[in-house]
Formats: sequence, C-alpha cells, structure tokens
Amino acid sequence: MSKPPDLVQGTLDMLLLKVLALEPMNGFAVSQRLKQVSGDVLQVSDGSLYPALHKLEQEGWIAARWKVSEKGRRAKYYSLTRLGRRQLEKDAQDWGRLSGAISRVIKLKEA
Amino acid sequence: MRLEHWRYTIPLRLRSVFRRQRADEELDTELRDHVECKTEENIARGMLPEDARLAALLDMQGIERAKEECRDARHVTWLQDLVQDLRYGLRSLRKSAGFTAVAVLTLALGIGANTAIFALVKSMLLQPLPVRAGDRLVVIWIDNLKNGWSRIGPSGQDYLDWKMQQKSFEGLFLFEHGTGTITGSGEPEQVSGLRVTTNFGDFFGIKPILGRTFRLDEASSPHNLMILSYAYWQRKFGGDPHIVGRGLTLNGEPYTIIGVLPANLSTLFAYDIVVPFDNARLRRDDSDLGVFGRLRRGVTLEQASSEMNLIMQRIARQRPSRKDYGAFLMPLRSARLQDIRPALLLLLCAAGFVLLIACANVANLLLSRSIVRQREVAVRMALGAGRVRLLRQFLTESTLLALLGGCAGLLLAVWSNYALAESMPSRIFVPNAADQISLAKAHIDATIFVFALVISLLTGIIFGLIPALQSLRCNFNESLKEGKRGASSGRRGNRSRAALVIVESALAFVLVIGAGLMLESLSRLLAASPGFEPHHLLTLRIKLPNDAKDSKYKEPRQQRAAFQNFLARIEALPGIQSAAFAEILPLSQDDMDMGDFVIQDATPLPLGQHLAANFRDVSPGYFRTMGIPLIRGRAFTNQDNLSHARAVIIDESFARHFFPHEDPIGHHLQVPSTWVPREIVGVVGGVLETGFDQQPRPTIYFPTGQTSDQTMSLVVRTSMPTSTILPAIKHAIGSVDKEQPVFEVRTMDQIIAEITAAQRIASWALDVFALLALALAAIGIYGVTSYTVSQRVHEVGIRMALGAQPADVMRLVLGQGLKPAVLGVGTGVLASLGLTRLMSGLLYGVSATDPLTFVGVAILLLLVALAACCIPARRALRVDPMAALRYE
Repeated sequence: MSKPPDLVQGTLDMLLLKVLALEPMNGFAVSQRLKQVSGDVLQVSDGSLYPALHKLEQEGWIAARWKVSEKGRRAKYYSLTRLGRRQLEKDAQDWGRLSGAISRVIKLKEA
Repeated sequence: MRLEHWRYTIPLRLRSVFRRQRADEELDTELRDHVECKTEENIARGMLPEDARLAALLDMQGIERAKEECRDARHVTWLQDLVQDLRYGLRSLRKSAGFTAVAVLTLALGIGANTAIFALVKSMLLQPLPVRAGDRLVVIWIDNLKNGWSRIGPSGQDYLDWKMQQKSFEGLFLFEHGTGTITGSGEPEQVSGLRVTTNFGDFFGIKPILGRTFRLDEASSPHNLMILSYAYWQRKFGGDPHIVGRGLTLNGEPYTIIGVLPANLSTLFAYDIVVPFDNARLRRDDSDLGVFGRLRRGVTLEQASSEMNLIMQRIARQRPSRKDYGAFLMPLRSARLQDIRPALLLLLCAAGFVLLIACANVANLLLSRSIVRQREVAVRMALGAGRVRLLRQFLTESTLLALLGGCAGLLLAVWSNYALAESMPSRIFVPNAADQISLAKAHIDATIFVFALVISLLTGIIFGLIPALQSLRCNFNESLKEGKRGASSGRRGNRSRAALVIVESALAFVLVIGAGLMLESLSRLLAASPGFEPHHLLTLRIKLPNDAKDSKYKEPRQQRAAFQNFLARIEALPGIQSAAFAEILPLSQDDMDMGDFVIQDATPLPLGQHLAANFRDVSPGYFRTMGIPLIRGRAFTNQDNLSHARAVIIDESFARHFFPHEDPIGHHLQVPSTWVPREIVGVVGGVLETGFDQQPRPTIYFPTGQTSDQTMSLVVRTSMPTSTILPAIKHAIGSVDKEQPVFEVRTMDQIIAEITAAQRIASWALDVFALLALALAAIGIYGVTSYTVSQRVHEVGIRMALGAQPADVMRLVLGQGLKPAVLGVGTGVLASLGLTRLMSGLLYGVSATDPLTFVGVAILLLLVALAACCIPARRALRVDPMAALRYE
C-alpha cells in the first residue's frame, strides 16, 4: 500500500479520523477538506485515500452509509464511530507528545 | 472494547466474503463517484471534459489497482482465497463424480469405523463414574494365595476392623447385593437390591432426585428404610413425585421409602432398591461382601495396599481363620473395565488401520488424478501461481473430500451404533467378582461430532499432502510440452504409488491376521465344552423370603420341603425332560461358595494349611439334567437325606488333585461347622465355573436333602420355547406358594452369550474391519495396476508387435502389480509378529503367532492381490498392437 512519503507513518489515519470527526462526508469531500484545512500542505493521493478509508472501516473506527449526494448520485458517506472517537483521542495525545518531544529536541540551543 | 470492535467488523468481513459481488459493486460505485466529483471540479477549473476525466483517473493511479488495494485493506484475501478454492474444489469434484464417489465412500468407511468405535470407547472407558471423585475409589478384596483364592469379598468383621485401623482412606463403604421379594401390590416381584452402610450417600456424593439418603445413625436399629433406584421408581411407580414417605412390603416387612436415586447412578449400581445394613447384621455376615475405599488425597494405591496387608496380618493374630489372608486393592474403574478394555483398544487400533488404508487408497486416487492434472498445474505455475498457494488449493480439495467422507462416515457411525446397541448385551460379567458392569449405550454427541470432524481434517491433510507435494515437484517445462509425460515424475509417481500399496497391504495383513486369530479363538471358545450340555436348558432363580418375621421358611426343614414341592410340580409338567435345583449354576456368575475341607484318615496337613474347594448344593436330578457325565460311583438319589448317611460327590479335577493315586470312592470328607464325615459316593465330570478360558476347579457337590439354601437356581431341560414353558413353570410354583416370585430367567445359551460378550463383540467388529481392509486393499492394488497398465498400453502394443507372447505380457503386468503386494505382506508379517502379542490376552487356545493363521492369511492376501491384478492384466492382453502403434 503506498502512502504519501511526506506523511509520518500512521498519521494519515489520524488525519482522516480528525476530518471525519467534523461531520460525515464522502471520500472526495475528505480529500478536499484535508487539502483545504492544511493549506494545501497535506495532500493524500486519491489512490491511497480509499484503501486507507477501507482499512479504518475494517477496524471499526468509521462506519459507512449510502446516501444520495447533492449531485443526485449515490455516494458512500463515512462517519466516526465511538471506537473511532476514542482512537482519535489516543492518536492525538500520542501525536501531541511525539511532536512536543521532537520540537524540544529541535529547539536545543547549540553550545 | 474487543466486543464492540467485533460488533463493527464481523458483519463487514462476512459481507465482503459472502456478498463479494455486492461489496465489489459498492466499491466500484464509490470510486466512480469520486472520479465524477473530481472530473466536475476539473471542468469547473476550466479543463476540457475529456482532459478533466483523464486527469481524475490519473490521480487515482488506476481504478482497478485502487480497488485491489481496498480489498487488501479489508484483510479478507485469505478468506476469499479459501472460498475460491472451495468453489473450485467443489466444481472439480463434481466434474469427476465417479472419482468423488469412490473417494468419499472409502473415507466414509474409514472415518465411520473410527467414529463408531470412538463412540463406544468413550461411552465405556472415558465416561467418568457417576460419583464424587470416582478416580480415588478402590475395591478392596481379600485373597489367600496359598489356597489359590483371589479376590474374595471380605466379611463384616473384616470391614469393622479395617475401619478402626486404616489411615489410607477417607472412608470405607460396605455393600452386599442380593434380591428381595416385594409383595402387597399385585403379583409378587423379586427385585434386585443393594444393602449398604449408611454412609452411602455421603461416600459417593449422591444427590437424590427426591427425598434423601440414609443418615449415619440409621444403622443402629432396624429402621426399615428404603431408597428406590430411578429405573425402579419409573417402572413400578410411574415416576410418582409424591413417593417419599410411602410404604412398601419387602420380604414381608414394611419399609418406608425415603428417596429416589439419580438415573445415572445405574451405571455403577444397577439395582432396584437400596436398604441399609444394621450393625448387628454387619457383625453376623461373614461372606463375600463388597468394600470400596476412597483414597485420601496423596495416598498411592501401593501405600494403601501395603497398609491393608499389614492390617490383615494383625487381624490374623486375633482371628486365626484369617491366617494367610492378604488384601488386594484395585481402582474401581480398572476393576470394572479390565475385561472390556483390551477388546476396545484392539478395536480402536483396528479402526485406525482401516482409516490408514482408506487414506492410502484415496491418496492413490488423488495421485493418479494429479498426473492427469499435471498440465493444469504446469500452466498455473507458469502463469505465476505460487507453490504454497497451489499446495493450499490441493489441500483444500482433499480436505473437502475428507469432510464429505466424514459426513457420510458420521451417518455410518450413527447407523452402526444403532445396530450395535441392538445386538450388544447390556451387561458384561466381571469374572471372579460375582459382579457385572452395565454397558452404557453409545450415543453420538458433540464430542463424537468433534472427533469425526478432527479426524476428517487430519485425514484430508495426510492423504492430500502426498499427491500435492508430488505434483508440485514436477518439472513444468516438461509437462507443458504437448503430449509428453514427464518421464522422471512418472517414475517417481509410480514409486509413491507402489509405496502406498506396500503400506496398504501390510496394514491389511495385520488386520486380517488379527481377525483370523480372533475368529479361530472364538470358534475354539464356543466349541470348548463347558463340561455339560448347554443347549435346551432354561434357568431361573427362586429366593425364599425367610427374612420376614412371620416367614414360613424359617427352618431349614421348611426350605428343603419348599424346593422339593416346587420340583415335584415342575417335573410333572408336560414338555419337561428333567429338572433340578442347584445352589449355583456353572457359568452363571450368580455367586460363589468355596470353603475348607479335610480328608478323613489322611496324613494331617502342616499347621495353618488348608485344603479348599468349591461347594455346590444340588438336587438329585442335577447331573442328569445338566448332562454332566457320571464317571464313577453313583449320583444322588432322594434317599440322600438327613435320615441317611451323609454323602458327597466330587468332580474329576477334585479326584485328580486330592486322590491322584487311589480311588476316592468310599473316602470321607469333613467340612467346618459340623465336621460330620461325608462319604464320597461318586465322581462326575468337571464343569467350567467362571468362563471358557478357565479350567474346572476342584468341586464338592452336596445333596440338597442334607443341606439347606434360601436361594436356589432351577434348571430345566426342555425343547419347548421359553415363552411356552415359563408360564407353566411359574404356575406350578404359584400352586405351591402364590407369593413366591421367580427371577433371572435365562436360557443357558443366553448365559454363555453374556460371558463371551467381550470376545464376541471384538471378534465381530474385527471381522468387519478385516473385510473392509481386504476390500480396500484389493481396490487399491487394482487401481494402481490398472493405472500402470493404461500408462503402458503403447509399450505393451510395441512388445506384442515385436512378438511378445500373451504369457510375457501377463508376467510383466502381474509382476509389477504383485511386487508391492508381496513386499507389503512381508512387512505385514513382521509388524504382526510384534502387534498380535498385544492381543494375546483376548485369545483362547491359539497362540498370537499361530503359524497356520499367518500362512493362511498371507496366501489369502496374495490371492486377493492376484485377483485385483488379473483384471487389468487381461485388459493389457486385449491391447490391439496396431491400434497402440498408430498412436505413436
């Protein structure tokens, strides 16, 4: 499975969970929202997005429901489950600790 | 957490496996929706519609690839592969229906045999005793090895002494089995009863389904309390839930019913009623009681055994009658099962062999098929299928086959267990213990089902692995070339096949040897004369109710008169050739009676030594009725009563043993208590007492006119069927005393069938297995030979075109077919020499390495192999050289 090289291993899941925590949306909307929120910094290729979403669904963190989109097509809408919310909290905490630690290391003054 | 996880994921996974098409369609829709959205966005940005769509597709990096990754993300590939393999396997099995039918049938026989035997073994050997901590229960017998007496039941006084002195047991339990007469409600009825010490309920941890068991203090005075067995409660009272507190007349005395035992206890105690011992009776009773002990935790059987032997020595110092006695302990389970266990284990082995042969056959079939499928495998491997993936597919197929066979086998097992239950006796006698075990009926439950499933799976893997590995080893470049058979793989295939035939014929040989030995042994057993003429004898027992206070049979005189009156009426019945009473009938295992005696005027024995023999009270017509030959002197007459001199008759083995050099007639014997001299007036032939595998024991017969017994067995020689003569006999007895029931009505043939049950079951089942093995081996040899012949059609054609004679061709084919069979028989002989030793305990009159059986079976097996080779050999002879050559 190919992941964008610019994303730290495992953070894609967290990002997708976070985006879906806002509201239920389909895959296309997820990629748009991610791009938009991060100011085009974080981009997930369409080829990697869907395998990642399906994996999250298999883990039971997000659930899918078929709805008719504004365009009148049948589209698959993903929403966060209770398990997913818990996972997101955990991931966010871990991320907070990790990034805090990394930035402390980076900010070390050279002697 | 986990649970919640599964709640989401299990339905999803099931859906992606079983609704694969639906899931795929949805995946397609989802990705297409994305592409549409993207295209629209691109158009909105100003792209041309075609470019916009292309860009969207490019961003996706290929829709099919994305789909595959999504499927991967669902972790279901292995499941999908399995489903795919199953579908493929089913399809290919359906396509070759003949092959499938033969394979499934073969496996069904193997698996069915194993399942049926396992069900039997489980119900007998593995079922725990229906009591608390049954594995710590031991039976305690006493023995007197100097006199050659083993496993005698101790007396009440022994029990009391043991109870005082022992430290190895948490508790001891004493019981006696007997019968009693129930009167007052309809026809008088003789019921089987158990008299127990009052710790009965606590000792076994019994939870009565109604009422209670005895209290410890209920032993001190005659309480006349009674517990009913489940079966009797059902039979007599229709399962009346208000039975507790009701009264019942037993042996003329009123008893109060205090409880009902659980149904499962009947596998240990198959009696109708249970009553308590009172302490006075305990001290009085001196014969053949049963004692169980429950070992303390951590105490071994050996420790308990040596303690009990020490106690016996101490007892002998206080009570000289117990001199030279020791204690003999055995776990209750072993004591109950020692007779049947070797037979069952033998059958389990035999069934396992049948399964192995079936496996070999199916492996052979698959091997032949894998040659045909070699090209298919080669193509798939050339297209990039992994070996492991192919192996998995082959194993899936063979396991599928095995499971189908397992299902059919399970049906077969259910059916055969049903058939077995019909033909099997419900009880088996335990020799030398005057006891019997009731056989639980085998039934198919979840464990059996799991067993069948597990052996099916194992079978599938075992017989599937050989051909699978075989076909993966092949060189696919060779195979891909049109019309060529890979020469090397062909030879290797032939070698595997030959090896399978060797294994198969060796196993079949062992089985047929086993069956042959059993058959030989059984026929000798049944042909062995028990010392009397067992056919056309009807037996039943009568017990005079002399325990009751107002019994009319208190006096020995009254008892003698009663039996004489019964006999007079019965002898007068039409259709009865002769009739007699005996205290104990040979082979009936009803009871035992043995004792010390002294030969008058013989040189006195060293102190502490005794002579001992079986004691039997018989009525004058006994030897005539039984057909026991009178060898010397005279038989008893009606004159042998108390107003004439005491007389005894001895049997041949007694004469041989104690009067080796002189005529015993005219000598006098004395037995304890009265010490009256009794003249030996006759010598009769010996009879077998406990079983066909025993020798006659020295026996002294006493005339019933000079003894008295409460319980006697009636034996009647008649050619009329039991159903006709029995009512007449009952009526004759009723005309003397209408309150007198009879019990244990059996023909002597039934008695013999019961004591030979273990051997008969083993022999019968082993015959079936041996036949199966023989048939399967024949099929296997036939299959291999005919396959080789079909492979060599061209060669045979060329040979014949070059002038080979039919005899040469015949020799070629037979030689190739028979060689592995001969090797197999050779292997089988060696294996049998080792294995049949294990069954020597089940054999009678034939050695485990009986050369005649070995030679006979070897010839039989080779003949079968020859017959199996002949059909393909004849086909080879019919090869038309021209036609064969045209193919080249």
